[in-house]
Amino acid sequence: MNSIRFEEVSKSFGKTKVINQLNMEIKKGERMILLGPSGCGKSTILRMISGLEAITVGNLYLNDQLANDIDSGDRSIAMVFQNYALFPHMTIEENVGYGLRINKMDKGEVKKKVVEVVDILGLNGLEGRYPKELSGGQRQRVALARALVKRADFFLLDEPLSNLDAQLRGQARKELVKIHEMYNQTFIYVTHDQIEAMTIGHRIALMNQGDLQMLDTPHNVYHRPANVFVATFIGSPSMNIISAKSAGRELLVGPHRIELPDMWLAQIHRSDSTNIKLGVRPEDMILSKNKENLSVPVDVKYVEDYGNRVGYYFDLGDEEAISIMSENIFGTGDQVYWNIKPDKLHFFDADTAQSLGYPKEIR
Amino acid sequence: MKKKKWSQTGREHFLAWCFVAPATLAFVVFMFWPLVYTLYLSFLKWNMVAINKVMVGLKNYEAVFNDPVTKKLLGNTLLYIVILVLLIFVLPYILAFVNTFVMGKGKGIYKTLLFIPSLISLVVGAIVLQWIFNPLSGPVGAVLGRFGIAMPSWSKTKGLVVLVISLVAVLKSFGYNFLVLLSGMSGVSTELIEAARLEKTPNRKIFGKIVMPLTSSTAIYVLIMSIVQGMQYVFTPIKVLTQGGPDFASSNIIYGVYQEAFGYYNTGKASALSIITMLVFLVLLFLEFKYVEKGVYYEN
Amino acid sequence: MKIKNKQNLIWHVVFILLVLLFLYPIVFAVSTSFKSLNEAFNSTLNLIPKEFTLEAYTSILKKIPIVRITLNTFAIATIVTTFKLVTGVLAAYSFVFFDFKGKTLMYFILVSTIFIPFTVTMIPNFITVSKIGLRDNIIGVALPQLADATGIFLLRQHMRGIPRSLLEVAKLEKTPHIKILSSIVVPIIKPAILSIGIIFFINSWNEFVWPSLILKSREHYTLSLALQMFVSSEGGTDIPVAMAISVLTMLLPLTIFAFCQKHIINTFVQSGIKG
Repeated sequence: MNSIRFEEVSKSFGKTKVINQLNMEIKKGERMILLGPSGCGKSTILRMISGLEAITVGNLYLNDQLANDIDSGDRSIAMVFQNYALFPHMTIEENVGYGLRINKMDKGEVKKKVVEVVDILGLNGLEGRYPKELSGGQRQRVALARALVKRADFFLLDEPLSNLDAQLRGQARKELVKIHEMYNQTFIYVTHDQIEAMTIGHRIALMNQGDLQMLDTPHNVYHRPANVFVATFIGSPSMNIISAKSAGRELLVGPHRIELPDMWLAQIHRSDSTNIKLGVRPEDMILSKNKENLSVPVDVKYVEDYGNRVGYYFDLGDEEAISIMSENIFGTGDQVYWNIKPDKLHFFDADTAQSLGYPKEIR
Repeated sequence: MKKKKWSQTGREHFLAWCFVAPATLAFVVFMFWPLVYTLYLSFLKWNMVAINKVMVGLKNYEAVFNDPVTKKLLGNTLLYIVILVLLIFVLPYILAFVNTFVMGKGKGIYKTLLFIPSLISLVVGAIVLQWIFNPLSGPVGAVLGRFGIAMPSWSKTKGLVVLVISLVAVLKSFGYNFLVLLSGMSGVSTELIEAARLEKTPNRKIFGKIVMPLTSSTAIYVLIMSIVQGMQYVFTPIKVLTQGGPDFASSNIIYGVYQEAFGYYNTGKASALSIITMLVFLVLLFLEFKYVEKGVYYEN
Repeated sequence: MKIKNKQNLIWHVVFILLVLLFLYPIVFAVSTSFKSLNEAFNSTLNLIPKEFTLEAYTSILKKIPIVRITLNTFAIATIVTTFKLVTGVLAAYSFVFFDFKGKTLMYFILVSTIFIPFTVTMIPNFITVSKIGLRDNIIGVALPQLADATGIFLLRQHMRGIPRSLLEVAKLEKTPHIKILSSIVVPIIKPAILSIGIIFFINSWNEFVWPSLILKSREHYTLSLALQMFVSSEGGTDIPVAMAISVLTMLLPLTIFAFCQKHIINTFVQSGIKG
């Protein structure tokens, strides 16, 4: 049974379309990440699941039931907001128990459940305090506690870690996974931070300007991006995208002729045109003074030392590429070789930006 | 899940109307219906008690325009407006600027102290000021007397009477307007002012070219309220102290309506005058928006 | 630096003078209320009475039913304040948290009534009140004061400051709107409601126009009418008594202000910005 299903869902605010023909399935108990840049529509999707935003076109199914017209209050939703949305005039205990009290649960029961959840989130001792007396990290945990105490089917999180200090975020990520594994609710998690997406999610739905770009596991999103957007969004610094031409068995990149191994031949000829895009991640671009079998001579244009890594800028044809390596061994002007690793290549159609696929040799 | 009779939005609409209903009811009964009814009354000849009301078309409006008193009322209204704008708009505006950007420590206490008179009833203000300005036995007269100046009997003097009546409204409005303008000033970033000071810009230019445009929306609000509220405020001292006299010298179009309605029982004429008043106010408002709108654009 | 200090000093002097000018009438009234009739006329410049006396106050107690009058004023102010607050809170909530057709237009119309002078609605309201038979009645005085949009305006401004996400949390828990209003919105803006209520109360307490139109018999008078009784165009009547009533009228607003200064000033500070 699918937990959540979007069927040809579009959403418009007046004349502006913000979600375009979304088809998506979220499995019961999975941690699904909605990832993308600002304005991509990820929060809107979250809000459509919760019922706080109406669906303009299409169908939303929750637990296989058509949910378009079901009140937010009648869907089994727990939500954690970016700004935590704690009631300033209520104590922590009252905040956490709010939903239970409104739904007329017996006071003793409420207290029991609140205590349980407060304990899980390490908020013991703070029950009588007010939100303004707490630190950002504590407030975030109160928001989580309030959502958790509900034992809802769906647990929605809207950028829950973005207001935390960087140091706290690492810890918080681990705790979130632990919380999920406690009750195995269906987690839908919105973020613009790749690291959160890659580390927390079972699957990632990457959005851009209302369109779903790719829905797959973190591994596939990283290693087999569906299009140029996905390829460049994931990974920092971004994947190098270089213009190239396919010519028989060869790949022409600028003035260089590269003889491609057989495994790629099918892919590069999938495109209608001979113009294609070659993608290589900076950390997969190894430079060396030694020339190996498959290599391209390049001149180091510029060097950036980040302390733990070094970036070497060079030109491939008219375009610039960057290689990230761990040691600072080259200087500006050095003539070196980019030794191509064939299993670390990505190819995209120059017009549609879609991936041209991967040979079966690559996982 | 069950199918609901009304959609979530439908129910919300109904609830929304329920929430505004009580307030709206009060407005319909005591604001909107009276507006319409006043318009209706302005076409009648009636004395508020007779059973018969006679439809006279535009005769009341003609009567208002032909009445020589109307000229006086309009003239006085203008005078009131000028005095009020100067004393409860221009003055507090400048002082708010000075208080925020020119003065140093210890400036916060003034806004609280100056606000206190705004809490006083207009009747109290009128009576106290009446006595303070009493030419024979009041303190102002006594002080002037020490300098050998005979204090004029203001309640019998054209012009002066308008001034003194206005002062009652000034007492009431100044502190409040000052406060509101101060809050408008707080929206101006001090960095802008400091930058201007670094260029040795004189204060009056800082006020005119930087502060005024940036506080224009607050200022327009205060200006309009100074006129609209100020004119209504002076009603009370007029009624209590001079009843419009001497010879209509202290009356204005607001008090004039009251006199026609409850003094002469010319309901029709009073209504016509009040409709004209409303139109005059609307024109003023419109002019204000048009003229000062440039300033507002600056801000955007 | 020297010039700046001099300028600073000059402005402080200006403000001090202004404060003295504005507070003088209050001080004058208080001082005169404790003077004898004789002294009031003859030594008008003395702020401290040579002979401190309570005769003005005692004569008030004899001449008019001052206690009853004060209670009338209090009753009217309470009715007006309660009604305006309750209806205002409900209406403001609707404008901020609901979406309905014609919302903006309606709000605009309501708020623009602030600019309509009372003379335009005066006559019909007088007729309405008379027709209902509420002439010379406290409720009759209260009724026309109810159509005041400043409350709705101020309350809306404050409600807008509440983050929408708080309401969404409530919605997700199926909280009915009336409960959202009472258990979330109102507690959060309680200080504003308090200050706005105080302003309503003081304004009604000081109100003169409607009481003067509607009330006839002395026992129903409000304080502002009682004060008017002691005025003649010459101002020649019993001045200490007039000042004494003035002081009594001023007492309540000033006392409330003394206790709630910060609240009251903050409410107004937030109202004028970007009307």
